Amino acid sequence: MTEQKPITEPTDTIVALATAPGTAALALIRASGGACRALAAEVFDIEIGSLQERRYRHSNYSALDRQILDDVVWCFSSGPRTFTGEDTLELSTHGNPLIVQRILADMLIRGCRSAEPGEFTRRAFLNGRMDLTQAEAVMDLIHAQSERALHAARRQLEGSLGLHLEGLIADLLGVLARIEVYIDFPDEDLPPEDRALVLATLVDVLRGTERLLATHRYGDMLRDGFKTVLLGVPNVGKSSLLNAMVGRDRAIVSPEPGTTRDFIEERVHLGPHLLRLIDTAGLNPTPGIIERLGMDKTIARLPEADIILWITDGTMPPPKPPSELLPYMNTGRILLVRNKADLAMDNPATGNSKEKRDLNTADPTLSVYVVSALTGMGLVDLQAAIIARADTLGAAFPGDDLIAINSRHADALSRAKSGLLAAQAGLLAERSAPSELVSSDVRMALDALGEVSGRIDNERMLDALFSTFCIGK
Amino acid sequence: MSYELNCMSTDTKNYDVIVCGAGHAGCEAALAAARMGARTLLLSGNLDTVAQMSCNPAIGGQAKGQIVREIDALGGEMAINTDLTGIQFRLLNESKGPAVQSPRAQCDKKAYQFRLKHTLELQVNLKLFQATVTGLIFDSGPGGVRKVTGVRTNLDLEFYGHTIVVTTGTFLRGLMHIGQNKNEGGRLGDFSAKTLSASFLEAGIELQRLKTGTPPRISGRSIDFSQMEIQRGDTSPTFFAFHDTRDSEPLFHVEHGSPCGEQRLGWTPGSDQVPCWLTHTTERTAQLVRDNLHLSAMYSGEIEGVGPRYCPSIEDKFVRFADKPRHILYLEPEGRATNEYYINGLSTSLPFPVQVEMVRSIPGLEKAELVRPAYAVEYDFAPPTQLLASLESKLVENLFFAGQINGTSGYEEAACQGLVAGVNATRKARGEAPLIIGRNEGYTGVLIDDLVTKGTTEPYRMFTSRAEHRLLFNHGSAELRLEHLARQFGLLSRGRLARIFAKRQRIENSIGFLESNRPRVGSGVGQGTWGDLLRRQQCSIAAVSSSEEILPSELSSLSIAERDEVLYRVTYAGYLARELRHVARLQEIEKVKISADFDFSLVKGLRAESMAKLKSVRPLSLGQASRISGVNPADISILLIYIETRRKKGR
Repeated sequence: MTEQKPITEPTDTIVALATAPGTAALALIRASGGACRALAAEVFDIEIGSLQERRYRHSNYSALDRQILDDVVWCFSSGPRTFTGEDTLELSTHGNPLIVQRILADMLIRGCRSAEPGEFTRRAFLNGRMDLTQAEAVMDLIHAQSERALHAARRQLEGSLGLHLEGLIADLLGVLARIEVYIDFPDEDLPPEDRALVLATLVDVLRGTERLLATHRYGDMLRDGFKTVLLGVPNVGKSSLLNAMVGRDRAIVSPEPGTTRDFIEERVHLGPHLLRLIDTAGLNPTPGIIERLGMDKTIARLPEADIILWITDGTMPPPKPPSELLPYMNTGRILLVRNKADLAMDNPATGNSKEKRDLNTADPTLSVYVVSALTGMGLVDLQAAIIARADTLGAAFPGDDLIAINSRHADALSRAKSGLLAAQAGLLAERSAPSELVSSDVRMALDALGEVSGRIDNERMLDALFSTFCIGK
Repeated sequence: MSYELNCMSTDTKNYDVIVCGAGHAGCEAALAAARMGARTLLLSGNLDTVAQMSCNPAIGGQAKGQIVREIDALGGEMAINTDLTGIQFRLLNESKGPAVQSPRAQCDKKAYQFRLKHTLELQVNLKLFQATVTGLIFDSGPGGVRKVTGVRTNLDLEFYGHTIVVTTGTFLRGLMHIGQNKNEGGRLGDFSAKTLSASFLEAGIELQRLKTGTPPRISGRSIDFSQMEIQRGDTSPTFFAFHDTRDSEPLFHVEHGSPCGEQRLGWTPGSDQVPCWLTHTTERTAQLVRDNLHLSAMYSGEIEGVGPRYCPSIEDKFVRFADKPRHILYLEPEGRATNEYYINGLSTSLPFPVQVEMVRSIPGLEKAELVRPAYAVEYDFAPPTQLLASLESKLVENLFFAGQINGTSGYEEAACQGLVAGVNATRKARGEAPLIIGRNEGYTGVLIDDLVTKGTTEPYRMFTSRAEHRLLFNHGSAELRLEHLARQFGLLSRGRLARIFAKRQRIENSIGFLESNRPRVGSGVGQGTWGDLLRRQQCSIAAVSSSEEILPSELSSLSIAERDEVLYRVTYAGYLARELRHVARLQEIEKVKISADFDFSLVKGLRAESMAKLKSVRPLSLGQASRISGVNPADISILLIYIETRRKKGR
């Protein structure tokens, strides 16, 4: 049977999370197909010729925008001696759903696609990696997987996700009908083409898609806790504070500045909330080379932080906010912590009202907490403030409306979003794009929404078209 | 090719393919079968109405124009017949991209018929005979009807053939309505096929009713054109046939049978075009419709059939879009040698006296004389989900259906089905695998796949929006898209295939040149290759065609058609590449074939719902299976594994 070629197209590369979704120590992402070799070379920045097979390596995964998403352990194997019989790339990432989602999203942008239930097994079978006698078992497996997936999808679509999605799809079908009618019925007596209306509806759908996508982040928050970043120049006692709040030695506490160069994460329950405390490398105004790396990572984490604990040394005069924090001033996210209150007792610079005034001019929402990680002094007040902040964030979740979409849905919605953005760009371009190209982008978005809701038949667009326009010369 | 008609047996028992009906579907079916070498019989109830345009005298238009070009690419006749008998040519959507531009032509109705009838008469292997088919002759077994072996006619003559292609149009229990007046017939002045329906029912084939309609015809002498807006044809007509690759052998096409086909027509194709005229309904028209709605056959419950949404009667328009004060109407000439005009947009089933008043409420038609009334016609169709993708009946072996009997509407839709049915009837008679055109290969593929996979509830008309790979279907590429099929199924002459191949080479080489060479610097063209330059300028193809210097001199030898194709593929490269990736992804399952007798109930693990749907549709490829509503990707995986297992075991 050596003459049998793989039935799959060499370019069609599928990707999926192989481990159970949700938070775990590690997550395994698996890709299979002809693009794996190029993919590994790209994301790990390796010459494609020097890519070694069947060797586990530890590298940073860089996204298309050069952002480092995680450090991962990975292995590339070329077919046919792999599970699927095709080139395969496996990555073990940290088990954070957000990291997993971002890496998956990046691989999809690079041209992979989400695997269908049982597709790895199907490819393994079709490429001769399984015995014929196993065929029936494979079919049962796919059947079971798809029943589970169907059940889960049905449950989700019965809820408000389905409702929201249906609204978006109906609007988008209306948009498409308004574009298509001028393509397919050029000789009809139609009202002048209203591109402004098309654009406005398209933007509405785009916003709706983004709102749904954002619920992916709400879902993260609920599952994983509010991201709370501990930030400050070296040696202000960030790690000590983390330990004081967690109640045990987690970060390495050392009087030498710059000890914490990587992230240390800890989950703590505060009141009704789950917090994810992230201790980062200090923000050193004059960093060494190694520290620089850690600081870049710190800055990279700020945009996703729900709460930023800006920790300063209470024995020193009040600092100016570091430039990295400026974008987050006035967002209510920053809590200023004046640590080392135990040492600051005899320091005249501590706790006076002038300091508060100065800082308040920079950010009126900024509150100041004087604490001692060592003695526990002021910790209760700080915790209360964090709970209050988390309450506010929690209140932003629309109660009944809570839709927490999963990663597969998020992938589909992201693709819908990029289709919508392309259509929008086409409509806004100085010489606006030909209608059939705008339509092609809108259809891409509709197809992606259809992956979540179930296939959308073209007949529904025609229904919208014929009920809106009088066709028929 | 032999010019002698010696292979035709004079008895009635010895045909490979019998085609019933000589409309647009039947003519293409008969020609395709005969051109492939099958001994073919074409039966028509009236040989004077061969290839008649029962509704408007026009071919082409959105999506339909592309279909006609596909017909030419597959060796059919509609394109060349339109080019030679067209009296006005327009390219629609010229302001949009090439993918959605479509040629359209007004035709001389009679010239169209005469030329096509003459083509049939001269076609080797084809015999024409005037008789109405009254029933099918079946070979029945213990389980009922199994296969068809021949047809019975009103002359008590029976004809026997390997395969039968049925193209009944609107004639199957055709019933015409003008107000409360009813007449049996498929078309005004014609008969109705009353007994054939019983044959289908006997074989267990389900029939349903559809409805369509046509507007009144008026005398041109009674029209005041000064109140109307003129619509002329394009100064440089876009033809339907690929004249750059077509054969010039005698008899392959009838226009070469005489020293000069144009002389027989009386005009040179594309010259001396005849205009159409635009007018509109008035408030008085609307009032007449509203006042007499109860007399309309459509609105008084006389009609049970479902009509098309895209071609509503004037009653429908005023009822469903009551806020629209007026509707546009086109007056289309029916030919050069007639003074009849067709009022496009005024289809109705109102009583004749109301029709007269209505027509005279229209600007320019105040004194119009009606020469034929408008009417609605109801007819039987056989829901096309009862067909395999080859257009063969699932219930009766060797029986093929094409055209309106499959629930479609339109000459072009009928013709392309006829061509495919004719090819497949021949293939079946020879025990060969059928021609199935992919959804990624052309509108013909989309049309047949939609019909047999999803069925239809209204007369099905093609729209470009039905084709998910529409961007690949620019009309100029039809020949390039379908070349491999024409070659594989022997639908074109060797000479033409060679010319298409050479054309493809020139196009591909030119694209290669543009993508790998840079324009000379210093002319303000910026960075990159010729391809980059063209994309950056987002040249509209029309603009480029008129200013040749935009392309390098190396490509100056290309024909205009070739250059348009090159420019399309270069300027739209990004979108076309995305489309091709999409196609490639679908091909994985598209190319897995399922045999017509595949037993889906043997596949364990399929969900009950999917199993039922699959057994009913009986798809011929895994791709088709995946388009059945309710069949999900997991079912497809399971099916794929089952098929592969069986294939491997079979070795």
